[in-house]
Amino acid sequence: MKMDVHPQPALVPYVRGQLGSDESEAVRLHLEGCAACRAEAASLLATLEEVSARIQELPQPEWIAYRSELRRKLDARHFSRRRWIFGLASLTAAGAAVAATLLLVVRSPTHPVPPVEELALEQQLGSNDLGLLRNYPVVERLDLLENYDVIEHLNELSPAPREQHDSRS
Amino acid sequence: MAELPDEELCSRVAARDNSAFEALVERYQARAYRLAYSVLGSEADARDVSQDAFIKLFESAGKFGGRSQFSTWFYRIVVNLCIDYKRRQRWWSKIVRLRGSLPEGDEAGVEPVSFEPGPEAEAMRHETSTQLAAAFVHLSPNQRVAVLLQVQDGLSSREIAEVLSCSESTARVHVHRGLAALRKLLKKGE
Repeated sequence: MKMDVHPQPALVPYVRGQLGSDESEAVRLHLEGCAACRAEAASLLATLEEVSARIQELPQPEWIAYRSELRRKLDARHFSRRRWIFGLASLTAAGAAVAATLLLVVRSPTHPVPPVEELALEQQLGSNDLGLLRNYPVVERLDLLENYDVIEHLNELSPAPREQHDSRS
Repeated sequence: MAELPDEELCSRVAARDNSAFEALVERYQARAYRLAYSVLGSEADARDVSQDAFIKLFESAGKFGGRSQFSTWFYRIVVNLCIDYKRRQRWWSKIVRLRGSLPEGDEAGVEPVSFEPGPEAEAMRHETSTQLAAAFVHLSPNQRVAVLLQVQDGLSSREIAEVLSCSESTARVHVHRGLAALRKLLKKGE
């Protein structure tokens, strides 16, 4: 299909071979019959080639220094990010600990502290059930039982040292 | 590493392969820098923003879905960062202007970001030492980006449109007008 209007914006994609087959064919047909567009296309192509050849004229930095600077920036950013993540994790852990404590306090069943008289009664009742506690004063002096063993077997000790002691005296 | 396609290198960068990242940087450093320079018009700003684009690439390589070419995806990052940079500069210049004496009735607030020639053209004028760079100053940022992507990468109108977030026909117009202007300017300079 031949184009009636000058397809100027399509000329660069045309000369670069970037148009679809239908559109490319339409532009080709137009160029066959339009000397102005042919000249324009040739001129644009020449400009493209000139700019391509001179693109290095645009300013550019020293690339080794550029990459070193980039690496430093990247490292610094990751270091600060790690610090930030660590800080956030610490804060979260602390928050979770506080929340858990609060939860324990709130949800634990409330045992009212019994008055002193009740405590004494409980101790008394408990002692009826526990044999050892029944003789609490004896249990309290259990260390004496160890000494009792020694005392009980005193007569089995050899008398020799005593005689020696007696003869000396 | 140097012979691997961009997309393969990008997927390796996503897996935190430093040598793949370095290969991509070496492959794209000049193109990313020139693209940023064409929008911002300052060598220092282009250096900063193009480096930021590589950092962004390193951090978000996993998000490259392969629906477009790697170059198109990456250039979109560069252009977005340039737009952000310009937006921040406008904020800052607004604040600086607000601190000075503003004439009555002057609108306070942030101007919408546009790709119309702005202070970057003035900056370019100071920094350009070559004929091509001097000619580039006279193009709009959209035209500069479109011509640059056509010339240095041979991107199609559809891909340029993707980078510039515009329609394909608009991208074609940018390329055509930019090249026509350069043709005139380069002839004049001869």
